[in-house]
Amino acid sequence: MKFLIYLLLALIVVPFQTTLLHYVSLFGVRPDLGLVAACLVGFLGGELDGLILGLLLGCFQDMLSAGDLWINVITKGGGGFLAGLAGRHMAHMTPAVLTAGLAIISCLSSVVFLYSMNPAGIDEVWMGVRSTVLVQAGFDAMVGAGLYLLFRQRWSDDRMVTEGAL
Amino acid sequence: MAISRSTYGTRRLAIVLLACLLVALFLLPSQSQRLLQYVGGPLGQILSVPLAAFSSIDQGISETWNGYLALQSVHEENRQLRRDIEFLKGQNNQLRESVTATQRYEALLKFTQQSPSQTLAAQVIGRDATNWYRGMLLNKGENDGVRAEMGVVTPAGVVGRIVKTNSTSSVVLLVTDPNNAIAGVVQRTRDEGIVEGTSHGRARLKYIPLLSSVQAGDRVVTSGLTGAFPRGLAIGGLTQVEKSEGDLFQSAEIEPEVDLSKLDEVLIITAPYEDADAAQKLLQEIHGDRKKP
Repeated sequence: MKFLIYLLLALIVVPFQTTLLHYVSLFGVRPDLGLVAACLVGFLGGELDGLILGLLLGCFQDMLSAGDLWINVITKGGGGFLAGLAGRHMAHMTPAVLTAGLAIISCLSSVVFLYSMNPAGIDEVWMGVRSTVLVQAGFDAMVGAGLYLLFRQRWSDDRMVTEGAL
Repeated sequence: MAISRSTYGTRRLAIVLLACLLVALFLLPSQSQRLLQYVGGPLGQILSVPLAAFSSIDQGISETWNGYLALQSVHEENRQLRRDIEFLKGQNNQLRESVTATQRYEALLKFTQQSPSQTLAAQVIGRDATNWYRGMLLNKGENDGVRAEMGVVTPAGVVGRIVKTNSTSSVVLLVTDPNNAIAGVVQRTRDEGIVEGTSHGRARLKYIPLLSSVQAGDRVVTSGLTGAFPRGLAIGGLTQVEKSEGDLFQSAEIEPEVDLSKLDEVLIITAPYEDADAAQKLLQEIHGDRKKP
């Protein structure tokens, strides 16, 4: 059942990302909703959930991107998994911690993309970092924190129910 | 008594004068008309003051009545009119959009008729899923005969080439992406080179011979050496030529001919030359004849 929900989520997020998200681009950079979704689910649901959703999102994103067919699968799956590991070792999830975590994972993911493009020199690397990596990390972190604050009440209720059941 | 007599006499005199005036008016109409006009001018001036005052009062009353007291149906009428305006605005926008779409389709059709290539029209339905590639999604895929490495153009010039396809959609790598390379030729000097995208969102013509006289303003077109594009499609204009000491080649920055951020419809080149199938068959026949002992 959970897999179906994640599949549905991926089927909504990726087309939304490709068709409508350019209206909210900042300096030509859009937030990576796939990564944000995978990390949020990883932070709050665990590394397996983050990994599964990340792989699904990455797979769909790779189909609709000009890049190699593995790169989104690896980065989104890895991002979700890392977020799950981080979430497991955290006693209290706060928006600040989540924002910082998302920014770090987004930076790591972008660095993989940057190096997969075989930059010609250090100048091109720095340009990629300045123009895309940092902007996207900030954007992803903001969007993730916003979504977390929006749905926090529901997630905390779920946690209370789960803890009560345990 | 004397006063009343005098008053009586004055009254009689006045009656006689008025009677004379009436008779004169009756008997001499044109002269009397002139006289009346002469007298009427200043009288009219005097009359205009109270007339204007009363008129403004009347207007005020009328406005008060119509604007405040008789508004029972105006509110509903106003709402209806606002709804009509909104509807008409929407209709107007739709019509304007239809006009621009028709103009674009006309340009595409004209280009298709003039082009030596077999083309397939497609709509841009999205952007690349990541921020790292300059790509676009088209609504035509393998079911429509689209394959990887096919060229994508507009009537203005080259857009890019197909790099990925699935059954119903395809991904175009734009000419401004650093991973894209298209064989180009400078139209004036006929110097050939490779057009690659840059990280700044433009393109660059590489491997121009050192002795070439290329300069800013020269136009670059496809050379037809790669399979995706026929010869002579516009790529862009040179904006800056760079010649570094010790380099074996020159390079030049290109401003792409097509505004890649505002694309709605494109043409996919399914066969660069119209008679490609016939040429292929001919080649096969020739090869077949050669193989025969």
